[in-house]
Order: sequence, then C-alpha cells, then structure tokens
Amino acid sequence: MIVPTPFHGFGLGLRREHYADFLDSVVPVDFVEVISENFMVDGGKPLRILEEVRARHPVILHGVSMSIGSAQGLDRAYLARLRLLADRVEPLWVSDHLCWTRTSAHNSHDLLPLPLTMEALDIVCVNINQAQDTLGRALLFENPSSYMTLPQDELREWQFLAEMTQRTGCFLLLDVNNVYVSACNHGFDPADYISGLPLDRVRQIHLAGHSPGEIVIDTHDRAVCDEVWDLYASVIGRCGAVATMIERDDHIPALPELLPELDHARAIAAHARQEIAA
Amino acid sequence: MNSLADHQRDFMAMLLDDAQPTPSGWGQRHRSGLAVYRNNYRTTLIEALRSTFERTERLVGEAAFRRAAIHHVILNPPAGWTLDTVADGFDQTCSQLFANNPEVGVLAWLEWAMNMAFVSRDTAALAAEDFVRHCTAAGDGDWTGMKLDFLPLLSFGPIDCDLVHLWSSLAQPGDQPAIRALPAPHHVLVWREGERPVFALQSETEARAVKALSDGGSWGAICHELAAQIGEDTAAAEAGRMLGAWIALGLVEKIAIG
Repeated sequence: MIVPTPFHGFGLGLRREHYADFLDSVVPVDFVEVISENFMVDGGKPLRILEEVRARHPVILHGVSMSIGSAQGLDRAYLARLRLLADRVEPLWVSDHLCWTRTSAHNSHDLLPLPLTMEALDIVCVNINQAQDTLGRALLFENPSSYMTLPQDELREWQFLAEMTQRTGCFLLLDVNNVYVSACNHGFDPADYISGLPLDRVRQIHLAGHSPGEIVIDTHDRAVCDEVWDLYASVIGRCGAVATMIERDDHIPALPELLPELDHARAIAAHARQEIAA
Repeated sequence: MNSLADHQRDFMAMLLDDAQPTPSGWGQRHRSGLAVYRNNYRTTLIEALRSTFERTERLVGEAAFRRAAIHHVILNPPAGWTLDTVADGFDQTCSQLFANNPEVGVLAWLEWAMNMAFVSRDTAALAAEDFVRHCTAAGDGDWTGMKLDFLPLLSFGPIDCDLVHLWSSLAQPGDQPAIRALPAPHHVLVWREGERPVFALQSETEARAVKALSDGGSWGAICHELAAQIGEDTAAAEAGRMLGAWIALGLVEKIAIG
C-alpha cells in the first residue's frame, strides 16, 4: 500500500480557465490538484492536458463521487476507473470527501451529510478499507461543509474523523473554510473542531471563499475571508509538512489575481513556523 | 436494510421530490438545510445540461431550455457517477417537448454525441498510403472478405434538416438559427479528428454500409446489398467511392483483407 509522503508546498486547483497558463508558461505553484472525475475518461484532450501538466508539476487527484458513506457500498467500476487514472498519473495522493452522494438507484452529484452515528462510522470504515485495497494506496478524506446536522447524530464530526483515521489508516484533507462554514451553520467553535482532529494525519489543507447568509454556503466563488485566514494561521503551524491549496470553482479569476492569495498563504505559513521555531 | 440505508433512501427521495414529507423529528433548521441541498442538486444538473447543450439553448431560448432541463432532471434523475450521464436522453426529452420543431431534438443529439466523441478512446486513423500498402500486399486476396474497423463512431438518423448549416449558425451567443431542409433525408456521423470532435452528413445508403461493417459485416456483403439497392452496374463504383471517402475522412482504423 502506498502511503502519502508529507509534502510541504502551495498549489492551486487546475481549472479549464487556466489550462493555457499551465501549458504555456511557468506557473509558480508547487503542485496542482485536479478533479479526478474530469479525467476518468477513455481518451482525448483532457488526458493529454493532464499529462503535460503532470510533466511539470506534482498532481493530486481529488474526487467528488466515491460516495464513501454509501450504505450500499462502493461502485467497483468507479474504483477500477480511478485506479487506472491513479496508475497513469502517479499522484501525490488521492482524496475524496466524508459524505455520501448516491443510493443504488440515483446519484445526487452533491456531497450529502452523513448521520454521525456509530453505524455510519462502521460502514464508512468498511468502505475506506475497500477503496484503499482497490487503489493500493492510503487515501485522504476531506471534512465537508454541511448545512444541517441530523437528529440521530451520536458523534461530533471531528470525533468521527479521528476515529475513522485510527481504524483505517487513512489521512485527512482539512478544509479550513468548511470548518468555518459548518461552525457558522451549527454553532460550534472552529477551534474545538481543529483541536479534536489528529493533526498528524493531515496531509493537505484547502482554503476557499464562501457566501455569507442565514445559512453560510460553501461556494468557492470568492477570495478567502479574514476569519478563514485566521483559522489557517491557527492550524498551519500545528500540522507537519502539508500541501496548502486555494480552491476556486466559480467566478474564477485570472491567475495574476489568484496567485497573490497563494502568496498570502505562504506568508502565513512561514510566519506560523517561525513562531513555533522561536 | 440498515438504518443508514433507510436514511439515505429517504433523504434522496426528499432531494428529488419537494412533495416528499420530511421526518417527524425535523425542525425548521433541518428543512432549511434540505432546501440548500435541493438547490445544489438542481443547479448542478441544470448547469451540466447548459454546458453540454449550448447550441440547443441558443436555438430554443434560455427560458424554454430551462423548462426542458427541469423537466428532464425530474423525470430522469441521474444514476451514474459522471455528470455526463445527466445528458443521456436529453435529445429524446427535447424531441418530445419540441415535437413541432424536430431540429431541436436532432441538434441536442448532435451536441451530446460531440461531447462523447471528445473523450472517446485515443486511436489513429489509417492513412491513405497505409491503405494503399495494405491493398498492394493483399494482391489477389479475397476482397469480398475484407473487414474494416472504424474509429469510435456515433450515428443518428434519418434527419431532414440541414444540420451542418444549423450547427454553424449557432456557434456564438446571440446568433440566429438558420433552419432549412435537406433535399433528401440524411444521417449524421460523429467522430473525433485528432482532439476535435467533428461530424458529417451521410446518405442513407452509406450510413447503412457503415453500420453493417461496424457490426462485423464483410465488404462482399456490403457490395451485395448495394447491388440490390442501386443495381450491379453502379454498385462497384459506389462501393469504391464510399471506401475512398471513409479513408479520406479518417474514419477507418484498421483493415483486414481476405
């Protein structure tokens, strides 16, 4: 089983709007993350672009359709296809979300909230073990943003994640913005959430923007807000070597507008590490 | 069935159908959260349809397209892991909803097929000089037993509207559709040329020949069928013309003679 090696760096999600930049120039990133499903295809331009980008940068495969919380188990055809892509790309690691997206009949194409119960934990762990065995590598799972908690919940999300990593040996993709969004929506202290996580299992951090409102929505359509930067500053020094990434999926700006945000993350991380060293 | 499976079945039903009752233990906050997930679900699927069927949206207009997309998503909730499956059958939905404008369903099929061809398996077309080399090597071999492997192809038809003209007339936002009839019904053939999906119109006879060969039929059987359709005298020349056209278009991947 391939275990993700700690990787310290700063990167971006590879989006169509930036393909030309990544193919025609040297973009100052340490890695790129791609949405796995966009490249789980038979052939054509997407795979050619991914191969060219891979020749220049380490790549992370980030999925949205594994549905690790599905009570009916995992889609074997999906896993086989993901394995093909992972073997081809040789990514830093493969990640997905702690959520469910489908039943045996339908696929929501959304990251739906799991009941945080012991039964769900058992099922998630069985599914993670199957996915890791099929893919031949330990996986990372991201804490989702959520818009509701469920009456049957028995655990806090951070307890669920901690237990999950311990039972399966998987790692974490800590989305700091998602912690903030869920904290706003469910009224917990994001510091409690972070403190409850096994930070030594975090290999990657996501940063993104959200839409405020009565329910805060994880829209990835704007710059990272100050509160999320503060949360990032509070956690980055407590993790080991991690890959930090800015996620933008809507209203995607040109790279010259996005790269300064990544520089800001670099500066915060450097400052946090200096403080710890001192 | 375990309780997580029950929960997921019920939650999915609520996601797909506003009329589904929510569990008795749910309060306003749960219902507000569900509304966010419902909105995410619908927006994602409708945006996926809009990005696949840009020309169809230009043809029917934004409002009519949105109504068709909502109708399609409600009646055909996706089952597959890839968002591409949301587009499956949208041409049929359009054919039903725009029954008086058959070009809408045909255009939607073409957009779906171009999308599929874009990510079809990588392969190389047989070059004209390689074809000549095969022919020379075969000499007096059994040409009636010749078999062809085509590149991944998608075909549709027969159609009456001039799809080439309609396609180019809708290339940009704000373009006005140009709808005109073909002098005779044709079929549409879609494939990938390098990295670019392309399409061409074919006569009914040619489309039938491509289908028969794709299904494993022999060249002899095609010539026999052609002779029955257009007569012995012209069949051989027409078969040669079709083969030459397929080689020139880059549709043939492999050839096996006799």
